[in-house]
Amino acid sequence: MLINNEFNEDKIQSPLQYIWAIFKSKNIAVVAMWFIIVLVLASLFAPWFFPHSPLEQNADKMLLPPYWFEGGDINHILGTDDLGRDSLSRLFHGLQLTLGGALIITVCVSLLGMAIGASAALTKGIKASVLHHLLDALLTIPSLLSALILIAIFGPSYINCLIAISLSLLPQFIRGSFLAIEQELSKQYIVALQLDGATKLRLFRFGIMPNILEPTITIINRLFTLAVIEIATLGFLGFGAQLPQTELGSLIASSVDLIYLSPWLVTFPGITIFLVIMMANVFAEGLRHAVIEGEE
Amino acid sequence: MLSFLIRRLNLLFITALILTIIAFIIEKNVVVNNTIIDTSSNNYLLQYFSYLINIITGEFGYSALDNQPLLARGLMFFASTIELCLLGLVFSSLVAIPLGVLGGLFRDTKLDYVIMTIALSGLSLPVFWVGVMVLLLPGVWGDLLPVDGNLSLVYEVPSVTGFLLIDTLFVTDQYGLFAFFDRLAHLLLPALVLSFFLTTEIIRLTRHSMTMVMRSNYIKAAYAKGFSRRKIVFAHALQNALPPIIPQLRLQLSTILSFAMTIEIVFNLDGMGDWLLSSLNAGDYGVLPVGMLIITSFILFFSILIDILMVIISPIMRGSLYANQ
Repeated sequence: MLINNEFNEDKIQSPLQYIWAIFKSKNIAVVAMWFIIVLVLASLFAPWFFPHSPLEQNADKMLLPPYWFEGGDINHILGTDDLGRDSLSRLFHGLQLTLGGALIITVCVSLLGMAIGASAALTKGIKASVLHHLLDALLTIPSLLSALILIAIFGPSYINCLIAISLSLLPQFIRGSFLAIEQELSKQYIVALQLDGATKLRLFRFGIMPNILEPTITIINRLFTLAVIEIATLGFLGFGAQLPQTELGSLIASSVDLIYLSPWLVTFPGITIFLVIMMANVFAEGLRHAVIEGEE
Repeated sequence: MLSFLIRRLNLLFITALILTIIAFIIEKNVVVNNTIIDTSSNNYLLQYFSYLINIITGEFGYSALDNQPLLARGLMFFASTIELCLLGLVFSSLVAIPLGVLGGLFRDTKLDYVIMTIALSGLSLPVFWVGVMVLLLPGVWGDLLPVDGNLSLVYEVPSVTGFLLIDTLFVTDQYGLFAFFDRLAHLLLPALVLSFFLTTEIIRLTRHSMTMVMRSNYIKAAYAKGFSRRKIVFAHALQNALPPIIPQLRLQLSTILSFAMTIEIVFNLDGMGDWLLSSLNAGDYGVLPVGMLIITSFILFFSILIDILMVIISPIMRGSLYANQ
């Protein structure tokens, strides 16, 4: 048996490893990725390492400014609200619902949407046509309106808000994935696979999926962005998280009346939403460029 | 042309039918004292047909709060929403199209990165938050621009078309142009806030389509002929790059309307969003199906209008006129 330790063969990287290697060379995107990972972990484990509970009231310390302002308190880094609750704890508690909800929506809608989009693109006839008309109808209902409808029927709650947003984002995602697959289907390597007698599943897994990575990243990124914005918007209007729960939008709504007294109560949740979306977009953009470079 | 029109109208018809079914379900489930569904028979199909006939004849029922006809009220409020969207679209096109073209021309340079950063921050800022922050402005600037309401209360403008910008022009013998400018001032800040999001979309779409056009073979051929870059961009590239943006933007219409309704609620403008929200909070659920039908039928008609417009102005899309599929 020949054991050759001196002359190792060059390992051929799998395409995913190759893309990952390119991605790692993009500094800003890697920073954004770590930012999001840290944010998700921090908001998940916030109750364990934040000193104040988000619901703990303190009548002595109401409407404190952030600690770097005159009259601030180092125990409350971002100050307190009108009931003396710690802003930073509330921010992370809110982030749990906003970011977590957006991630759940993104995963569910992209799996479901990809399945429906692929089955619509790969089959012909009545099924595809019915789907098209239903999608057209659903696409014309703005998300705010569909949320209002669902909430009028089932009553306001955080879960209903998530369902309403998923329902309004699903048609857009299906349309996006459908168009991407449709474009791919006319390529010659797909025709070659079909002539080999590949089943639809195999065609999708080995022919289409590796080639629609780039548009998929774009639409998933868009999905996540809109999900965050819409969860916050519905929360702001009072249709999202109900009172003991806090969510970034409802945090803003509850302190709008205090905006002249203590503007940072409104500022910080907004900046948090801004940072989350910004970093997610930078990360997705880096990934997309890595995929494009990897394909070339 | 005829077959194209018939195909589009067929699509419109089926989609509209599905939407009326959804409206019927809402009306049936949510509205307590519905007057336009004939509930004498227990057959849902018959009830639906009676509802459909009522809708077609324009009978949408009356508001439980002030006993006004819902359709007329809804259309009046929706006109104000459209005004806001159009002004926002004008603002953002003025900024975004030049920026997008520049970004496409100088792709992957420092200028491009600056433009994309602007676009990204426009997307990342939630509109309602920007609205709330803008409400702070009168405390900073003094009362430069109003941030509250549709029109100053001193002006009494009778509703003729529903579009206040046009209605105020009808009363010029009474107030001069002051009412018009007052309306414009009230609309300015909300439209600016709305244009934040729109700018991002238009920059992205313009940049992408400009890049695609600049890579195409006929631009290379024009370079080979020795035309100057300026001439190529203005004579060849722009007129091929700009039309494909319109149908892309049409797909965003429902998102734009959704944001416009949020902005109305923040700025306390009398529009669709404010009307729906305040009616729902007061318990008048009858506005829901009416509002849905108004908004969705607007989007439907608008999409088909854009499809037809695209066929007229763009030679590439004209191919769909003759295709059998």
